[in-house]
Amino acid sequence: MIIHVLNRLGYGPRPGDVERVEKMGLTAYMRQQLHPETIDDSALQAELAKFDILAMGETELFQDFRDEQQANKQRQIDRANAEKMSATTASTNSATAQNERPAPAKRPGGEPPRRSYLAVAELQDAKIISAVDSPRQLYEVLVDFWSNHFNIDVRKGPCRVLKVVDERDVIRPHVLGKFRDLLGASAKSPAMLHYLDNFQNSAPREISPNEQRRRQQYAQQIPGAPAQTVDNKPRPVGGLNENYAREIMELHTLGVDGGYTQKDVQEVARCFTGWGIDQRTGEFAFTPRRHDNGSKTVLGHEIPPNGGIQDGETVLDILASHPSTAKFICTELCRRLVADDPPPALVERAAAVFRTTDGDLRQVVQTIIYSPEFFSPQAYRAKIKSPFEFAVSAVRATGRTIVPDDILPMNKRLAMEAGATFDRNMDRIANARRKSLDIAVIEMGEPLFAYQAPTGYTEDSRKWVNAGALIARMNFALALAEHKVVDVSASPVDLIRGVDSDKPELVLDQLNQALLHGEMAVATRATLEKQISRKDPDQASTVNVPELTALVLGSPEFQRH
Amino acid sequence: MTLTRRAFLKRGGLALVSVGTMPFWGPSFLQQLVFAANPTQTGGKKILICIFQRGAVDGLSMVVPYGDPYYYQARSEIAIPQPTQKTGAEGVLDLNGLFGFHPNMAALMPIYKSGHLALIQACGSPSSNRSHFDAQDFMECGVADDKSIRTGWLNRALLDCPEDRAKLSPFRAVSMTSILPRTLQGDQEALAIPDLKSFGVGVAGFAPSSTTASAASGFEGMYDSAVGDLLHGNGKDAFDAIGMLKAADPTKYSPRNGAVYPNGAFGRSLMQIAQMIKANIGVEVAFSEIGGWDTHVNQGGAQGQLANRFTEFSGGLAALYQDLGDRMNDVVILTMSEFGRTVRQNGNRGTDHGHATCFMVLGGPIRGGKVYGKWPGLAHEQLFEGRDLMLTTDYRDVFAELSQKHLGARDVSKIFPNHNLNARNYPGLLAV
Repeated sequence: MIIHVLNRLGYGPRPGDVERVEKMGLTAYMRQQLHPETIDDSALQAELAKFDILAMGETELFQDFRDEQQANKQRQIDRANAEKMSATTASTNSATAQNERPAPAKRPGGEPPRRSYLAVAELQDAKIISAVDSPRQLYEVLVDFWSNHFNIDVRKGPCRVLKVVDERDVIRPHVLGKFRDLLGASAKSPAMLHYLDNFQNSAPREISPNEQRRRQQYAQQIPGAPAQTVDNKPRPVGGLNENYAREIMELHTLGVDGGYTQKDVQEVARCFTGWGIDQRTGEFAFTPRRHDNGSKTVLGHEIPPNGGIQDGETVLDILASHPSTAKFICTELCRRLVADDPPPALVERAAAVFRTTDGDLRQVVQTIIYSPEFFSPQAYRAKIKSPFEFAVSAVRATGRTIVPDDILPMNKRLAMEAGATFDRNMDRIANARRKSLDIAVIEMGEPLFAYQAPTGYTEDSRKWVNAGALIARMNFALALAEHKVVDVSASPVDLIRGVDSDKPELVLDQLNQALLHGEMAVATRATLEKQISRKDPDQASTVNVPELTALVLGSPEFQRH
Repeated sequence: MTLTRRAFLKRGGLALVSVGTMPFWGPSFLQQLVFAANPTQTGGKKILICIFQRGAVDGLSMVVPYGDPYYYQARSEIAIPQPTQKTGAEGVLDLNGLFGFHPNMAALMPIYKSGHLALIQACGSPSSNRSHFDAQDFMECGVADDKSIRTGWLNRALLDCPEDRAKLSPFRAVSMTSILPRTLQGDQEALAIPDLKSFGVGVAGFAPSSTTASAASGFEGMYDSAVGDLLHGNGKDAFDAIGMLKAADPTKYSPRNGAVYPNGAFGRSLMQIAQMIKANIGVEVAFSEIGGWDTHVNQGGAQGQLANRFTEFSGGLAALYQDLGDRMNDVVILTMSEFGRTVRQNGNRGTDHGHATCFMVLGGPIRGGKVYGKWPGLAHEQLFEGRDLMLTTDYRDVFAELSQKHLGARDVSKIFPNHNLNARNYPGLLAV
């Protein structure tokens, strides 16, 4: 039971965790995990303080991003001009110029990596460090769940900086609060407004030449804004963008079979017209003149005309309290916490709690994790770890932690990680001999905060199984065991302490105990015994512990939790 | 736990081996495949190679409408000059009096002349979305502006093709990228391999050590013995794939027929696709991509930034075509891009996000040597939204024709839902 709790309500046990929970009692441990504010995490917070971008305000982040875009464009112009100049000089020798390979798009050497780019890597690093080191393990699991539920891909425009704000101010404060608060925060999250296009959602209308002139003046204040022209007649602008309206129902609340129609999508889109981003500050802004002031009908509810921003709030109320939402959210939570095919009776009980407590997420989670279904044999080790869960649990199981890489400067490493997330330089990265954990997670198929579609990564863990990704897992296990993941510390604990390393069977027993809690399958055990015995008897008789550790970490058993 | 369809098929395959009705899987089968008596003989299995030009290629520079008078008006500084007879001068390479290749696309001229390369001008998605992110996603899903479809069209196409032994190959759908592209996401399993040389345990990336070979066999043994576990099938797939590749030995490959691939990731990915096809390991769909087309600033004309991209792009395609030789009888190569670029040059001697662009289809079965698609013209009133090349061929009609007539998909409406499919709208790229 303790192992199950540490596996599912956290990122797997560290050496000594099982004994610690045994001592304090499983009930007390679970109660504490449900109230993370009672657990001291000052050591973690001190560790995270080095990520200064994560502490920045959204306006500063947003303006920074915009300035960068502007500078980037200027650089392209300068570079192209320079190329043109040198091409003219070299034109006497055009035959050779023709055969030259295209000039790689290289930034001038001394230039520091862009801050918005580093923001992505800081987000990823902070997520990894928190998962590895936080004593608030259940909280980190829930943050991962909700951040994925309200998925945002950092690769879309300013989302790379705005997701910093979303993670910090939208997701993290609300995962054990009321669902309506979380949903409302997400609806006003600049990252979400951008990612699902609602900032472009407006009532179609005509703008007068006067307003066109006002827009032109406004645009001139904003660096990088597209140039505005002025016609002498009213010009039609805007129109509905249904993207957010559809996804908030399909993915965030009701679920695809939650009982809404295409007409509801349009009506919800109308309610959210004018919900957007202030282009100067990057903050949420409601623009009344972009709003559709007519009356609307959403899921049978009449919404009177001229409601302004209240229309959207009403939609959020309707969606948060809809029975389909209770069912959909509880299904997904049970899928994450209990089983890929969640037990319907448990989903129903959790949904009832959701409905009667006004979407109190702490009580919903409590219902799920205190249930007999959670502790049933069918749930035990029934899920495949995601690449992130696998990597973090391997670091934890071996008693190791994330440390700054002592060779690469932090900014350089962050830039490399961000580059990999944007799928740049993968060629070089694939063959790099030194990698960080972030990049290993990308290679296993789960770039953090970078899932393109609004669905987020699936909660059905069977979908993680794929031949190519499995190889990447084995390679990671090998690299970790041989200390080749640059930002993972050396083993501070000796996993086979006190065991005679000349006795292979004893070493194997110990690794089985330490990493799999004695649950190695008979077949795996037989393979590993064969592996040990096949060693050349003339060679040193000691067991190759890193190799054996890698095999156990890469075993089918360790892929499950 | 429910058995996945894939796991079921896998076991079905193994059962066949055990009763001996059909030598199917396992090392002996692999040996037969890899060292087939005549590796150039076609197995009759059709292969589709898709290449995504990410960033929106300027179709008007790739296949230049030099015969349209408005072309030179709209692009005073970046137009490619008229064809010229003078040697050494850099003009458009004439195709049919209206269109001509960019001079740096010369490598494809022989293929066009041999009738195996079809160009589809003014092709693309009817969506007016001009975001790279969304438009690529839509095109990979085979939709226009529909975010409710989340699997890739190539993946759905394979699911809709008749099941056969090849289905069981882990290489049935393979992408030469580090992350599986959207177009191959879905229920059909697909492999993403950035580089064949690094596909294996301890072979690349993290520095290999003396223990890796031994560890690899340990991993293989563990997954092989984990019968009954979902991971067993996938682990076995992985090691089968590694074994197949080892037998094909990617390190000792030399292209045939004098093919020279361009340096860089794109050329290498195409070479490795050729290698897998020739190794007969069951590839039906392969995917690769090439970037650098987002030419907002100083895109250049006959020379310059964009011209350099064309050299690499066309050089890669021509090398792949040459290298595959007779195998091209069963292979079709399809190139695509999320949208085109503005007809008029912008203030930075570049072009901005536009609408229709030019797709290319090459291969033995293709009725090529022709520019497909109705030419909409470049006069102001002929432009889409007053700025972009109008669309006259919906890209889904191209994909649907290839899915149905080349890959053998049974019901293309499943692959392209919400699109009004009609075989009469197909461009007619394939004779069948």
